[in-house]
Parts: sequence; structure tokens; C-alpha cells
Amino acid sequence: MRWMLLLFIGMSLPALADLEYSLKPRLIAQDTWLLEGSTDNFAKGNGGNIVNTAFIVTERGVVVIDTGPSKRYGEAMRQAIAATTDKPVIEVLLTHHHPDHVLGNQAFTDVPIAALAGTTQLLRQQGDAMAENMYRLVGDWMRGTEVILPTRTLEPGVHSFGNHDLRVLSLGGHTGADLAILDQKTGVLFAGDLVFYQRALTTPNSPGLAVWLADIATLEGLPWTLIVPGHGPLATDARPFEQMRDYLGWLDQLMRDGAANGSDMAEMIRSPIPERFATINLSRYELIRSVSHLFPRYERAQMTRVDSTPDN
Amino acid sequence: MNWQASCLLACWLPIAAHAAAIDPGKDPVPSVMWAFYHTQMLGDAPFVFDDRVKLLAPPFAEDARQVPLEIDARAFKGEVVKILAWAELNPLPKIVDFQPVSGVLPWLSIRIRIEQATPLRAAVLTRDGLWHVGSTLIDAAGGGCTAPSVVRTQPGWEEHIGEVLGGRYPRGEFSRLRLQVAHPMDNGMVSGIPEFFINHAELRDGNDQVLARLELFPAVSENPNLTFDIEGAGQTRLLLRDNSGNEFDAAIP
Repeated sequence: MRWMLLLFIGMSLPALADLEYSLKPRLIAQDTWLLEGSTDNFAKGNGGNIVNTAFIVTERGVVVIDTGPSKRYGEAMRQAIAATTDKPVIEVLLTHHHPDHVLGNQAFTDVPIAALAGTTQLLRQQGDAMAENMYRLVGDWMRGTEVILPTRTLEPGVHSFGNHDLRVLSLGGHTGADLAILDQKTGVLFAGDLVFYQRALTTPNSPGLAVWLADIATLEGLPWTLIVPGHGPLATDARPFEQMRDYLGWLDQLMRDGAANGSDMAEMIRSPIPERFATINLSRYELIRSVSHLFPRYERAQMTRVDSTPDN
Repeated sequence: MNWQASCLLACWLPIAAHAAAIDPGKDPVPSVMWAFYHTQMLGDAPFVFDDRVKLLAPPFAEDARQVPLEIDARAFKGEVVKILAWAELNPLPKIVDFQPVSGVLPWLSIRIRIEQATPLRAAVLTRDGLWHVGSTLIDAAGGGCTAPSVVRTQPGWEEHIGEVLGGRYPRGEFSRLRLQVAHPMDNGMVSGIPEFFINHAELRDGNDQVLARLELFPAVSENPNLTFDIEGAGQTRLLLRDNSGNEFDAAIP
């Protein structure tokens, strides 16, 4: 009996050990640490660690920017912070309500969790369904994960945390409620998912690509020195903005043209993807999703009432 | 034996010959239900799995309530009697029975609901009595057939039933016709709301000649989208009827 138990433990240990995020904070600017995820899709192999999270060690304490895709990630992040600094975590800022950015909240319930009012509302409406889908996509990594709503409403403007003044912008191209944070001390711009770099952007809650393009112009106009995209590598130059503008413009024109010549969604998802986007991960996958999210608006704009009801 | 019976027998003989001779080939998708649907939908008639019938859907359903599906049987242009489509693992599998009569290509684009990951089929009956079966697989998080109606959350939706948005888009030798009908297409599976869906549609040309007939089933998404390719110009009419007897009429110039 005992040897069977031992054998069982021996067999299960590697499986448990596999579910380690091994987060390694990287110093990217003064007091500023990044936890960079991959540019892949959610999968059982990566635990949903496809996202960039960060923390700033201010004189007063640590400000956390996004909490990752799961309770387990949040806890690993908390440990990584504790291994980096003795200062306590004083606040969490959530860039938007998507699951890969907020489902680590359970590890931070002892501090204020701040977000735009719209983010809290969207998380209340969609959080459970999104978490459920995450269980389907990444499996056991999600164990015990539940949605925790923000506890503080963040107003746009400058917020001081110790020696760091953070300028908070309320934008909306990605989800309708998107926070961007410019650290005025270091020039680091935490763009959240308003900027995807080398990873195809996602549109499930986008109010429209024109709104998003306007947000990109706003962000680019800020006095930044380093861009932290929500997904993808850091940049010290404007290339992430250029790529976003190019990609958003292409997507918009593609759907405009498709609607104008009567293409249907099944045809739209097979559209060729320009060679210049070859370095962008998951562009075909996200095109399929974006056509589902956005094309109905474009096609309706190209159709007119043709029924013979009395009021027509 | 009277002449009618003889004629029938004569017509059916080639099929009987088919049945003995035809190898349906290998099912291109993993299906546990093909034998059942072969009986249920095709009445055990002779068939082949045929990749000339293109059934095009995304590899996964981003929105399980509105999954685009394109059925392309243009390889059999002029030979098609009818096209049946269904989603094997849906609680209500039938999607459409499309009969291109004349002047319309054997091609159809439509949006459907998916309850779970499933094989999709389009079976094309050609004039020689053989069914050509196109297949594809779609992955889904699921729930498209049992999700609450989006239409019914919109205030005043009843006022808009039967409104049709449409457009005609010239494409060389034919013209693309797109139609979107405001209708909840209730499938009877959502919280005590009985079946209420458009079950019949007909396309006619300017001279009132029938171009195509369609039977629609509740696997079709709410606010149904239909796209056809029409040969020849001139006005096209779409006549619709739902299972409550409401009739709607649209004319696309």
C-alpha cells in the first residue's frame, strides 16, 4: 500500500512542478520591474502567461500594474515582488478588464485595487464568463481562480505614489475602458492592451478601430522614453505605434472593402495577410476573431432597407 | 404496373445501380453519428464523401451564436437538386434545405448557432440521384443554441420583425445578393420561449419566376444572414414566412 502511495506521489510531483510560472522580474528603468509574457495564445503549456505585468518600487511602497491570468500567477507575482524589495505593496492598478490582466487579483486583496469605473462595470458583467473560458483554455493553472472586482475607482489625472507621479489616461479603443499610465519620473509608458507589439491585437470589446487609432495618436504624443505594451517586447522608439497604426488601418480598410463588395464573414477570414505583418504572432487567428467582432458593423453600413413593410 | 410507376422505377434504377457500385470513401472528419444522419437526413440513399462540395467555416466559433458558414457546390453547377446542411452535435442539427431552381449558383452563405464542437455537413443531391457530402469540423466553447436571445434584449424589437437590409454587389458574370432579416429565430431552447423562426424563404426574379427555395431551421442564427450569387440582372424579390404565419417581402433592385 505504502509503495503505491509513494509511486503515486512520485508520478504526480512532476505534474505539479510543471505548473510553476517562474516569474523573473526584469529591471527596465529606475525602480521599475517588468514580468514579460510570451506573445502566444492561451494554452495549457503556458498557464496563460502571455501578458506583460509590472511593478514600480516607490519610496512609499510598491505599485502593481495588472495581476496576470490566474490566482496562481498573482501569488507568484507577489512572491517575485517580495524577492525584489522589502517594501510593501500599496496599490494595484488594472489597465482593463480582460482576464489575462485581472485574474491574479486574489493575491492582492489586502491592498486597494484601482481601475476605471468602466473597467469595474465590464468585469462585473463579463468576468465570470471570461474566467470560465480561461479554465477551458489553460486548465489546471486556473485552479481556485475567481473574479475579484476593483475596490477603488481611478480618475484620470496625475496620481502621486511616493516619489513617482503617475499620469493616468482614460482611453477606450481596446475595450471601451482602457487605462494608460505614464510614469513622469522615468518616462515609462504602460500602454496596457492599447498597444500590442509583434502580437496581433484583439478586438472582442473594441468600440471601433477609429477610436483605437485616435488613442494611439494620444499615446504617441506623450513624453515617453520607453513603451511597455500589454503584449510583446519593450521599445524605446515609436515602432510599436507605427505597427499598431499600420495594422489597425489595414484591418479597417480590409473590412470596409469586404463589406463594399459584398463579401461574407467566411470569405473575410480567409483574406490574405500582408507580408509586412509576418513578424506579428497570431495574425490569422485574431483576424478570424476580429471579423466576428467587427464585420457585422461594416456590412450593415453597406446595406439598405429593402423590405416592403408599410413604414419603409 | 401503370406508366407512372414504370417511370418512377426507371428513374430509380440508376440509383439502385449506384448503391451497389459506389464506394463512399473515407469520412474526412471524426464522426460518431454519420450512420445515424445518413438514415435521418438522406434516407440511406447512395452518397460519396466529396471534397468538391466545399463547406467553409472558421476553425473555431468566436461567437457560437453567429458562426459564418459558406456552402460551395459550384463544382456541380447545373446538376444540383438540393443542398442539405446540418451540424451533427447540435441539439437541433438541421440548418437549411436549399434548392437552387434556376439562375442562382449552388452556393450559399449563412450564419448558424453551434452548441459545441461538431462536424458540419452539406449534402448535395445531384440530378443523377447521388448525394455528395462535404464536411468540416468546428471547435467551440459552446452554448450557442441555448444562449439568451440578443434581439429580445433590444427595446421595441417586435416593431422591427421582418425588416430586411439588403444589397446587390456586381461580381462580373453574376451578382452577389446579401440579405439580413430582423427576426429572433427562437429555437425553443431558451427559458420558456417557444419556437418562433423563419422556416421558409423564396427568391424570385423580376418576372416572378422562382430562383431558389429554402427551408430554414432553428440552427440558423437570429437576424438571419443570407448571401446568394445570382446570374442575370434585374430586381430580385425575397419572400419569407415564419412558423407563426407572418409573411415578409423584400425587393432588391
